[in-house]
Amino acid sequence: MRRGSIASLLGIGVVAGGIAAAVAVALPWLPTPASREASRIDFEFWFVIIICIVIFAIVVAAILYSVVVFRAAPDDDSDGPPIHGHTGLEIAWTIVPTLLVTAIGISSAIVLSNDDALGKNVLHINVIAQQFAWTFSYPDSKNLTSATLMLPKDRSVLLTFTSKDVIHSFWVPEFGQKQDTVPGLHPTLHITPDRLGTFPVICTELCGLGHATMRSTAVVMTPAAFDKWIASQTKAVTSPNAGQAGAAVFKNNGCGACHTLTAAGAAGKVGPDLDKLTTYAKQAKQPLAAFVRSSIVNPNAYVQAGYPKNVMPGTFGTSIPKQQLDALVTYLTTNGSK
Amino acid sequence: MTATTFDEHHLAPRHGGVWRLLFRPGFVRAAWMFCLFGAIGFGIVVAFRWWGGWQPLFKMEDITLVSLLVAGPLGFLAGIGAFDYWVYYALGFPTREEDHSGHGAKSWRDYFRVNTDHKVIGVQYLVTTMFFFIVGGFLALMVRAELAKPGMQFVDTQTFNGLFSVHASLMIFLFVIPAFAGLANFVVPLMLGAPDMAFPRLNALSFWLLPIAGIMMLSSFVVPGGAFACGWTGYVPLCSTHEPLGAVFFNQGVQWAGASSIMTALNFLVTIITMRAPGMTFWRMPLLVWANFTTSLLVVIATPFIAGSQFFSMFDHVMHTAFFDPNNGGYPLGYQHIFWFYSHPAVYIMMLPGFGIMSEVISVFSRKPIFGYRLMALSLMAIVVLGFSVWAHHMFVSGMASWLRVPMMITTLLIAVPTGIKIFSWLATMWEGKLHFNTPMLFALGFLSMFVIGGLSGVMLGAVPIDIHVSDTYFIVAHIHYVLFGGSVFTIFAGMYYWFPKITGHMYDERLGKLHFWLTFVGFNLTFFPMHILGTEGMPRRVADYAPKFAGLNMFISLASFGLGASVLVFLYNMITSWRNGPIAPSNPWRAMTLEWLVTSPPPVFNFDQIPQVVGSPYEYGVPGAQHAILAPAPTRTVEEVGAS
Repeated sequence: MRRGSIASLLGIGVVAGGIAAAVAVALPWLPTPASREASRIDFEFWFVIIICIVIFAIVVAAILYSVVVFRAAPDDDSDGPPIHGHTGLEIAWTIVPTLLVTAIGISSAIVLSNDDALGKNVLHINVIAQQFAWTFSYPDSKNLTSATLMLPKDRSVLLTFTSKDVIHSFWVPEFGQKQDTVPGLHPTLHITPDRLGTFPVICTELCGLGHATMRSTAVVMTPAAFDKWIASQTKAVTSPNAGQAGAAVFKNNGCGACHTLTAAGAAGKVGPDLDKLTTYAKQAKQPLAAFVRSSIVNPNAYVQAGYPKNVMPGTFGTSIPKQQLDALVTYLTTNGSK
Repeated sequence: MTATTFDEHHLAPRHGGVWRLLFRPGFVRAAWMFCLFGAIGFGIVVAFRWWGGWQPLFKMEDITLVSLLVAGPLGFLAGIGAFDYWVYYALGFPTREEDHSGHGAKSWRDYFRVNTDHKVIGVQYLVTTMFFFIVGGFLALMVRAELAKPGMQFVDTQTFNGLFSVHASLMIFLFVIPAFAGLANFVVPLMLGAPDMAFPRLNALSFWLLPIAGIMMLSSFVVPGGAFACGWTGYVPLCSTHEPLGAVFFNQGVQWAGASSIMTALNFLVTIITMRAPGMTFWRMPLLVWANFTTSLLVVIATPFIAGSQFFSMFDHVMHTAFFDPNNGGYPLGYQHIFWFYSHPAVYIMMLPGFGIMSEVISVFSRKPIFGYRLMALSLMAIVVLGFSVWAHHMFVSGMASWLRVPMMITTLLIAVPTGIKIFSWLATMWEGKLHFNTPMLFALGFLSMFVIGGLSGVMLGAVPIDIHVSDTYFIVAHIHYVLFGGSVFTIFAGMYYWFPKITGHMYDERLGKLHFWLTFVGFNLTFFPMHILGTEGMPRRVADYAPKFAGLNMFISLASFGLGASVLVFLYNMITSWRNGPIAPSNPWRAMTLEWLVTSPPPVFNFDQIPQVVGSPYEYGVPGAQHAILAPAPTRTVEEVGAS
């Protein structure tokens, strides 16, 4: 190989690599991390990206160089030199990639084991997934439930998943971590949030017709704010004032994601409009309170015309404690007749 | 073959007109036998339900499955004539002499009946798979139309989920896998110096299973409840117990396509092992043959696993078994393990034949021997072996045993090594060559650059922490399209242009071919590259609606995808007009050395009038006086001997 060709090959390689690197840096690839795990994942991502850019630059440089330099003239019917191989080269491009992927493997395994290592004073949260809603409960706080994932900053959080129907997958892009929820299994996921803010919780495993709507929100707050939230919620759902408790239960179970209820400021369009409950009960020929209760506990018993069957989870009857269910029914019967 | 003539000779003369039309193999007989077998299937279900006292007597699910998806298609196959020879043989009808009237095509009608000529079957495969490629592409464009803007515009979620599920199933099971089988069907026996495949009748049967699978998957759109909508992966329990009847159409469609695959692969293995021309040692086989040999190994070993997974899933759906139903002791992850134990090797089933095409094209259009021939063949074998040890990398976030992740990551990363060897060897083949940029070579270069991107994003996905972040996002969608479109589809196009003169006897239009390449290359990158960013930023896959912040990129992708779709029209126009009116092709327009170029374009019915004697490597470009094979005067073979082989 001539020296000139090596130089121009290197030149093309540097240019190709430079363009690829510029694309990689300029594009907004990853969300700003909001957990320690996401920061480690980002490190691994960039470590692998750099290796990939180098390889890509070599391949593209070789292609472009060949296209320009080894192009046959239109009337050139001759053959190239009969080179059948080169043992040294072949060993080199077996060994070098092996070393590179070994490096990727080792660094990944280290990141993985760090990401899975629990910190001190772990906060346990049970995550219940069902078509098409997330519910988060806090076993350390009398199983307080919430439709929003509230998290204290800088504390190790261990999520334990339960699926009531099909496979779902829990993902917060800013946390980097992801876990499928499998019916019959209880996999866990470790997250250490380290940035205050509000982030989307997304279902990433196709779980049925409402898959795209299976969203919730994760809120990272200061530890003091978190403790305050726990205290206020515990107070709210156990409030002797049924209206106040019912409002909290309505909010914590994510009813507003699918239903409209003016009193709760909810504007969901997936399920029936709860502002019209009185009308619906008349159409179903049932007394209002009994109708509301049976619609929560056994949603398929009567499905309001114009809304799909089998969309509302049939499990609220067991997941909401009796006292809270009573409060919710009272709340809906008093507010659901606008 | 002979079956056709049997009917024509024995039934037709005795009864004329309508009777003959009804009873000779063909679409008329296929139609009524489909109905007859369907009715028998219906009768069996109803009889058993009546006997068992089960209510309701007419259970639609069971009737549809048995009558429409199993018995009916068998009737179609019987009617079209795929079983005639075997049935007559088994029933003890007088044996007939081979007259080969079912071999070869004299008019276009011969392409619409059971034909045992591997060249006719190859064309049948290619045309059928192109049809499903266009249908599948159309479904993808409908997906992109819906996704152009956030919110729901054109279709409801059931239809949307059906669109992407059927799109993927058609592209995988009815396009990429059988398109490679079609090309290999035409080329491999020629490359080996063989008169046909080892089992011509089995070959014909495996083709006719394909339209059944494709129509089954497509027709799920008109089933009450809609098409199967759980993705081509068909994860349980969603697909088994939460889906409408359409899911069964997927379960059963996969069985027909899978059976077709397995039969073809067996045929290739036997053909390659036993029917090589004298002198054609394994180390003298063209790399395309090596590629199909290794692919066939993968198919034969792996495909039964997807058959098993779909049967169990279907039993859970229809018969209420509990293989994967956690409420009754089933294990949902078991499905994923069995499914991916096929479906990861399937990735290589969809790529290795393309590697073979690349080796042929790059060597010929660089006018140089393939660089490191033996290592190229060995790396194919390495991919086969490693390919069976990486399946769980699709399940890093699935909740499987967490210790399994690191070993699976290591094997996954290691499989990049043999793949890298192939890429570098192709680059070295081009180095210092005399490059001719005909359309097949352009697609080869497009493949090299695009497949490297797909391969490198595959390395990223192999690293567990990165995979945890991006799995089930649009990053995956981008990755698989860089592998399957930038990889497989580009090689299929390269192969179709490369062998077009041999198959049709006409040259394609080079200018249109180049236009097709550039439109495809640009459209492909504009469509799929931005999906990487969507994925890492947080857009999950398989959603009908998405967060407003992704609106701009999605609109861009949708517009680009319509351009990409339009580029296929150029290809179709070129193929159709060139086939009809293209300049007559010489027997060896590319000055290639492999055996198929020694015979006329298109080749004679039994390929070689003289048995070729293989005397050297198929890639000795630039070696003065080197030959791959010489056509020695052969001992006269009777037609019977040829047909019997």
